[in-house]
Amino acid sequence: MFEQDIINKFVTNVGESIQLMQPEVALLITFVLALVFDLIFKKTRSIAGYVAILGFIVTGFLLCTADSANAGGFAQMVAIDPFSNFFKLIILLASLIVVVMSLFSKELYTESRTLGEYYSLIAGMTLAMFLLSSSNNLIMMYLSIEMMSLSSYVLAGYTKEIKRASEASLKYVIYGAISSGIMIYGISLIFGLTGTLNLYEINSFLANADINLWALLVPTLMIIAGIGYKISIVPFHFWTPDVYEGAPVTITALLSVASKAAGFAMLIRFIKVGFVDSMFGGDFWAVLHLDWQHIIALLSVLTMTLGNLVALWQTNVKRLLAYSSIAHAGYMLMGLTVMNDAGVAAVLIYFFVYLFMNLGAFFFVLLIANKTGSEDIEDYQGLGYKAPAISVCMVIFLVSLTGLPPTAGFIGKLYIFTALLQNPDFIWLAVVGVINSVISLAFYVKVFRNMYLRKVDEAKETFKFSIPSIVLMFALAIPTLLFGIYFSPIVNWAEQSVGIFLR
Amino acid sequence: MLTNFGIILLFFIIGFIFVGISIAAASLIRPHKPNPIKNATYECGEVALGSPWIRFNTRFYVIALVFLIFDVEIVLLFPWAVVFKGLGWYAFAAMLVFFFILTLGLVYDWGKGYLDWEKPNPIVPVLSDLIDGKK
Amino acid sequence: MLETIQMEYYLILSAVLFTIGTIGVLTRRNAIIIFMSLELMLNAVNLSLVAFSSYYGDSAGQIFVFFIMALAAAEAAVGLAIILSLFRLKKTVYVDEVNIFKW
Repeated sequence: MFEQDIINKFVTNVGESIQLMQPEVALLITFVLALVFDLIFKKTRSIAGYVAILGFIVTGFLLCTADSANAGGFAQMVAIDPFSNFFKLIILLASLIVVVMSLFSKELYTESRTLGEYYSLIAGMTLAMFLLSSSNNLIMMYLSIEMMSLSSYVLAGYTKEIKRASEASLKYVIYGAISSGIMIYGISLIFGLTGTLNLYEINSFLANADINLWALLVPTLMIIAGIGYKISIVPFHFWTPDVYEGAPVTITALLSVASKAAGFAMLIRFIKVGFVDSMFGGDFWAVLHLDWQHIIALLSVLTMTLGNLVALWQTNVKRLLAYSSIAHAGYMLMGLTVMNDAGVAAVLIYFFVYLFMNLGAFFFVLLIANKTGSEDIEDYQGLGYKAPAISVCMVIFLVSLTGLPPTAGFIGKLYIFTALLQNPDFIWLAVVGVINSVISLAFYVKVFRNMYLRKVDEAKETFKFSIPSIVLMFALAIPTLLFGIYFSPIVNWAEQSVGIFLR
Repeated sequence: MLTNFGIILLFFIIGFIFVGISIAAASLIRPHKPNPIKNATYECGEVALGSPWIRFNTRFYVIALVFLIFDVEIVLLFPWAVVFKGLGWYAFAAMLVFFFILTLGLVYDWGKGYLDWEKPNPIVPVLSDLIDGKK
Repeated sequence: MLETIQMEYYLILSAVLFTIGTIGVLTRRNAIIIFMSLELMLNAVNLSLVAFSSYYGDSAGQIFVFFIMALAAAEAAVGLAIILSLFRLKKTVYVDEVNIFKW
């Protein structure tokens, strides 16, 4: 019977797709097990955290050993390709480091009753980000963005006994719900315009159709608003400083790295698969209909300039790092502006570097907040002498965030500017980028000055940190230094990973 | 020839006529003997006391939230139920996984005591505090 | 032969609903009413998706509507839970009274 054939084919397809998506299945099992273990062993508060760490390691193993597949699963709903694997590895590393960081967090362990949901929600959020980085269909994209957001709304307000966490969470959920509402309105208009939700079919429709430019621009900008909200690019960034300041430090770190990575993966895939003419192969992206280059360039300039300028007069270090992360999103958009594979490779390199330096900076904030209970920059005075070992690491992170040699941040910026300078039209953008880096130096130095040059004489006491926390700090600082000197493996890896699965 | 709008208009007109006729017929047939007890809000129940604009206890929300999830999950069952017969055991297994995860959430809530009805703990004034002037 | 309602009418209704929802979100101060307005925005999207879906004879749009409905419920649940936890701390659901953070 004909119908039965379709059904059998469907079942086979699902079976094959699950084979391809073993890491996601492992994450799902991690999520469930973390909850179950937390229910059974009520006494050990961190049990779900250990389950999550174990699950992440298994997932990482599955991710690395999977043969470099380049295929679509679940009837082209998701794509498994080197590009998504790169982002999945970054997301997984960030989540793993954040879970380990959470084990050291005093804030979490004193201000909340249970931590089972906390760790399992991180696992669930990681699953959502995995799906987001490989989603190929607008339904899948919306579902995974929402799944990621719902987990992060709850996580941002996790220490609910603290007023500012609840407030951050409320702002986050309201802004988030609005932006996702705008995004699906855009999706519905795209569906109306092209008659499909699959990115490949949208692409082939756009390649052959004669479309009113405005009819295409409006829904596309709506979708960009939804994704841009997640990666906090400027007109959609309002939530970022408040949420980053109010949320627990660990969640701030997770939002600033992992969810940004997933959002960028989606943005790049949306543009590359949906809007780049697949007839032109190779390095050159022939963009259909819309002038993506100038849209992205404009967003990039706005994002980094506002991020850096407002960061100048911040006094809370978490808030300062929030604006700094907005600025970094702007730098990464700069790499996307050139719309070729070299630009995407530069973004990938930047993300890998950003992972270590940003998580490291937040880990420093966490350790200091454990001791002093404050995130204010005034309370950082003399830290260079109270906590010498980790302060040195923090200096490395700050130098790297500024983008100075010999740290990894320099390599990230170098590749972005190199990609940008290949296109003579965008030299002005590179100049803006350099000016912004100089501005950013001012506020990173402010942190440094408070740590080393203020009230040094009063620094009598020294802080003691546990050995595992110092080990983790160095595990973040050493790659930041090492990849500044020996960077060819990342560059090779990133250049191999730009391949996006095109049917 | 009717357009779709014509059908909607017809629907409206029939609706109004139907309701109008029922009300008119009822007012013609029914006896009219009002008294205060009959006019009360709950004719055969408790006497209404106080304003209805009180704030409900926020704990009701927690129950409502749990209900909401299980309520709306049914929407995902409809497409499943339509193709269930053709898909057979495969669809059954898939839905079992879905239900397992969903039920786990409820079990978790229950096990952690989020569904317990916390009794309010009123602060009873102590005589010595009153004398000391703490309150 | 019935003359069907044209596509534009659905789209205009959907756009009007979406706009009302957006205005509600922007002007209201009560967090719960903001969430109601958000539901209105989502329902506008549902309407336009169903209209397009029947226009193209493609059921993908209707499947999407199912997911949006389920997610809207989840979002409302999370949103209400967050409002609830804020209410326990601050005894208010008015968003302009929630103002610890400034620039």
